[in-house]
Order: sequence, then C-alpha cells, then structure tokens
Amino acid sequence: MAPWMSSGLIYASGLALTAGSVTLLYIVTRTFNFAVASLATIGFYVTYTGVALFGGLPYQYYPAVVIVGAILGAICYYGLNKHLLRRQAAEITLMMSTLGYDLVLLSFIQMYADFLTHSYRLFPRRVTMNIYDFELFGEKAAVIILPIIAVVFLTGLHIFLKKTKFGVAMRATIENPVLAGASGINSDRIYLVSWIISGGMAALGGSFMAMAMTGTPVMGMYAIPLMFAGAILGGLGSLYGGILGGFVIGMTEYAGVFALSQRFGPWVLGYRMGIPLLLMVITLLVFPRGLAGIPLFKLLGSLVGKKRGASA
Amino acid sequence: MITVNSLGNKLKNSIYFREILISAIIIALLLFLFIRSGLPIILTIFIEFAVFAIITMSLNLEVGYTGISQFGRVAAVIVGAFAVGSIPGRLMAMLMGLPYGVEYASDTVNFTVVPQINELLVNSWLLSLGFLLMCVILAGVFGAAIGWLISRPAIRLKEAYLGISLLAFGDFFMWVGHNWKGLVGGSVPVYVPDPFRIFAVDRFTVIVLFIFVVAFLVYLYLNKLTKSPFGRNLRMVRDNDVSAAAAGINVVRVRTQSLVIGSALAAIAGGLYVIYTGTVAAIGFTRLTFTFWPWAFMMLGGIGSNIGMLLGVFLLTILRTMIVIFRSQWFGFLLNVGIDPLWLEFTLMGAVIIIVILFLPHGLVPERVEPMLSANRVRKIMARRQ
Repeated sequence: MAPWMSSGLIYASGLALTAGSVTLLYIVTRTFNFAVASLATIGFYVTYTGVALFGGLPYQYYPAVVIVGAILGAICYYGLNKHLLRRQAAEITLMMSTLGYDLVLLSFIQMYADFLTHSYRLFPRRVTMNIYDFELFGEKAAVIILPIIAVVFLTGLHIFLKKTKFGVAMRATIENPVLAGASGINSDRIYLVSWIISGGMAALGGSFMAMAMTGTPVMGMYAIPLMFAGAILGGLGSLYGGILGGFVIGMTEYAGVFALSQRFGPWVLGYRMGIPLLLMVITLLVFPRGLAGIPLFKLLGSLVGKKRGASA
Repeated sequence: MITVNSLGNKLKNSIYFREILISAIIIALLLFLFIRSGLPIILTIFIEFAVFAIITMSLNLEVGYTGISQFGRVAAVIVGAFAVGSIPGRLMAMLMGLPYGVEYASDTVNFTVVPQINELLVNSWLLSLGFLLMCVILAGVFGAAIGWLISRPAIRLKEAYLGISLLAFGDFFMWVGHNWKGLVGGSVPVYVPDPFRIFAVDRFTVIVLFIFVVAFLVYLYLNKLTKSPFGRNLRMVRDNDVSAAAAGINVVRVRTQSLVIGSALAAIAGGLYVIYTGTVAAIGFTRLTFTFWPWAFMMLGGIGSNIGMLLGVFLLTILRTMIVIFRSQWFGFLLNVGIDPLWLEFTLMGAVIIIVILFLPHGLVPERVEPMLSANRVRKIMARRQ
C-alpha cells in the first residue's frame, strides 16, 4: 500500500471516531463538544504512558484509553452539562462550557507532559507512536488492526443502539425528548450514557490518530476543526453520517495532499489543512444539511425517470 | 461617620454598584502590583488590556449584540497583523528604492531593509505619524474586506454551523501566513518598521498611551453605535430574527454589517499589536489566544455590555500577569516536580469560563435595558409637546 494511503486510513479511522463522538453528543444533548480535542490528546497520552513506562504494544492499552475517556466524559456531564441542560441553556452556552472544560484539561495535559519529562526523562512533547508498531503481512500492523478495531467498536455501538432496550430508549430520546420523558424514560441516564460513550470514542479516536501524526500536547487542539468538519459534513443529524463524514475528511486530507503535491510540488504540504476545510465549506454551500441531507433517493428517482415523490 | 455611611448607602443603591465595586478591586490589585513590581509591569498590563479590550469589544458587537456565534475572531486579527506587517513596510521600501517584492519578507533582506526605513522614520515625526496612520487605516480596510468576504458563504448558516465555519476560516488564515513565505516571512518572523522610535526612551510609554486612547475611542464609538437605531436593529436580529425580518429589517444585511465593523476593529487591534511587538510571527496568532481568550473575557464581563468588556478584560489580564510574576513564589510546589506554573493560565481561563457559566450566567455586568434617549431629553420633548 502507498504510504499516503496507509497513513490516511489510520488517520481517517481516528477522525471518524472523533467526528462520530461529536455527532452523537450533539444529537443527544445539543452540545457541540469542544472537549473532544483534549479527550483525543488524553487518549494518546494514555497509550504513550503505557508503552513508554510498561512496554508492550499500543493496542493493549486501548481498553484503558476508552475507560479514561469515559470517566472524563462522565465528569463533564455531572459537573457541567447536567446543570446547563436542566436550565435549558442556549446552544452557544453549552458549547462554551465544554470549551472551558477543554482548557482545563489542556492545562492538565501540559502539566502532565512536564511531569513526564522531569520524573521519567521522557520526551512527551514530540512523539511518533508508530515506532512502537510491528509488521503484519508486510504492512504496518496499525493499517490493518485500527480499522478493524474501529469497525468492531462501531458495530458494537450499532447493536447497542438497535437491539438493546436501553438503546431503543436512547433513540427515542433523540427523536422526541418530551415524549420519551412522558413514557417514563429517564433522560438523565440517557445523557450520562451518551457522554460516557462519546468520551470513550473521542479518546480512542485520538490514540488512533497519534499512530499517523506526531503526538503533541496540542494535537487535539490542532485537529479539532477537522473533527468538527467531519461532523458537519455528516450533517450533525445521524451518528453514521458523522462517522462517514470524519472518514471522508481524513481520507481527503491525505489523498488530496498527495495528489496535489504530485502535481504542483511539495509546497502544497503546508496547506494540507485547507483541503478538508474547503471540502466542508463547499458541502455547506451546496448541501447545507451535510451528507445526510443529500436526497439520495430523490436523485436516484430522477435518474430512473420516476416522478418526484413517487420513489418513496 | 454619618457621611461615610450615607455615601456607602448611596453607592449600594446606585445602579452602577457592580461597576464601582469591580473597578475598586482592579485599582487595588494594580496598586498592589505597582508596589511589588514597579511601573513596567503596570504598563505591560495596560497594553495587553488595551489590545484585548478592542478585540473583545468587537467580539461583543458580533456575539453580544448581533447573536453571531463568532468562533473565528483570530481571522480578522491575523489579517490586520499581516496587512501591517507586509504592506506599509513594502511601500516605504519601494519609495526608498530598496527591494520590496517577495524578497522583502525573506529574513536576510528584511533584516537590513527595516533598519533603513526606521532610520528615515526617526528623523521625521510627520513621516512617522503618516506611517502610523497608514498602518491603522490599512488594517481597518483589510479587516473590513475580510469580514465581508467571510460573511458571504457563512452568513446564512445557523448557530453551530456558522461558528464552526468561522473557526475553520481563522485556522486557515494562520496556516496561510505560516506557509506563504512571501507574505510575512512564513516561519521566520518579519520585522515591522517602528513609527514610535522617534520617542527613543519613552517609546514604550507612548505606545501604551496611544493604544489606550484607541481602545477608549473604540469604546465610545461602540457605545454610540449600540445605542443608535442600528444597535436596536442588531439586538432585534439577535433576539428573534424572524420577527426582525417581519418588521422589515434585512437580517442578512444587518448581520453582514456587524461582521464587517467587528472585523475592521479587530484587525486594527491586530495591527497595533504588531506595531507594539515589532515583529509578525504568523504562528503566534493562535485560535487560543485571539479567539478563546477574548471569549473568556467577554463571558466574564457580561455578554452584551460594553463597560463589562473593559472590566472583564482588565480583571483577567491582571490575574494572568500575577500568575506569571508570582509563579515561583506561589507555585513552588509545582516547580519542584518540574511543572511550569505558566500552564495555570489555561486552568484559570477554563475555570473562569466554567464558573461564569454555572454561577454568573450574565457576567459581572449584565446587559442593561438602555433607554434610547436620556430621561432629561424625554422630559424636554414632553414639555415642548404640551
């Protein structure tokens, strides 16, 4: 596999998880979560700490990553989001509250990096995680393992949402919170679980992304426009749209930069962030409701030649 | 004693009680810092306060009065900084017959060209003044242009979508500046000719005064603007855009105007900041410093109140500086395990945002219902009618 494709695949899986986390939280609690940035970075630092201090492969620390992310998500819900939701705060207020949480987490990450440098003589401010990887079928193992983990994780989430009673309750709350509350669903618990899931997803996504990019304390801060771009590309309406959006954004960044630098020379590499953002702006202009808003069946119907509305 | 008591009561009952109390706290902290560390620290606080006050007030115009979720304030600030960093110096170089093209921004050329321009500026106060005015005007014009340009695709979007698109634009500008070497030197900072060099030793004091005056003028202007019929339009669009449209207000136009004015002011602040530091380093204009911190200032001050912005910025700037000054005295326990207490700045900002949202949702100085005309004017008009 070409290097841009393998890195792109790893990166895009990570971005898909983080964008999915943003989308899930938005559709359940109306909160546009800035803290995804720091949660992702924390996910990376958990794997790094494990590998650097205790040895082994990065993959064996992923359960710990998910647990830490989930705990941090739950803390944010109990400390902050719960009170604001009860107060029916505006969307911007919810967004800003997570930004405050994100800044606090960021300061802790920076302090933790200082602490690692001082106490263990490590260099946690510039880390390339893929040196801890191994070879599998002539490829870096991450290329094969990470997408599989992502798919397994998302399938688990899908089954949880579609088949379990709690998942049905959750979907009901998403569809119509008032009606769900009237039929005896405890919305408090639904919100808590969605924070836990999205926290775990964000942290896992961050530790994925660190396998393809340089891990720094501001890694999440750097990538957060892309995570948001993925969520917006997916339309902020459905979880699967968000996951797909994140994946598309990640792949476009790598593929687009590769193609353009072949064509115009290596100076394009500096503007790599612009390509996915441009994609997002174009999507917003053409389909203001994102990928999920594209009327696929209508388009198909018009291709086949049926009359409008008859295809449903 | 009686007079003190009655004065206290008067203060307590005054509608400006909060403002007076916070100002008293600010003055007390400033005095404390002045006694402990001397004048230079006070001047540094003043200059940071003035720059961020302009940026925060412009943000308040867009967020507090118009209801645009502006998460890309840094874009306008960057454009102002780039305009000042790249154009006036080039013009001077062109007039003096020095290299002014793409090579102006390369570090080896820039290093020699800018001192020559400075030499010229030192000798003529008229030229210095003209140069300064040109900087401010250029920053304003480019800021307004970029505000208009950004508003084109983004203005019809709704809350979260709009905020994220603006955030993406802000980041994009920073990366352009960082990578395009011909503009402001890319990763190697480019020098800015210094119109204040003429004041020699007092340069710093004069700059502080100048930016302070600009901030005050911006405050007066925004106060007038938000009380004018245009300000009413802004608030109507913010509170309910559907009813505003029904009342005959062109919502898209009003929001665009607000974005243009806000961006122009923020760009002027960016330009002044660059003149003060003397260099333009694109990587220094991060989303954190120039978007998120103004948001924190604004939330502390009280969204939708101009005087609140000034107080919020002042208070937080002082607290931030105190962390920097007293980091070894107060936070020695962190230094012992190798942690730099400077990171506490982030903790402070985050904690301020969280505490304000949870316990002070309207900020230190909540937005007031302001009458269009003063009571005296109304009385006079009534008297004339009778």
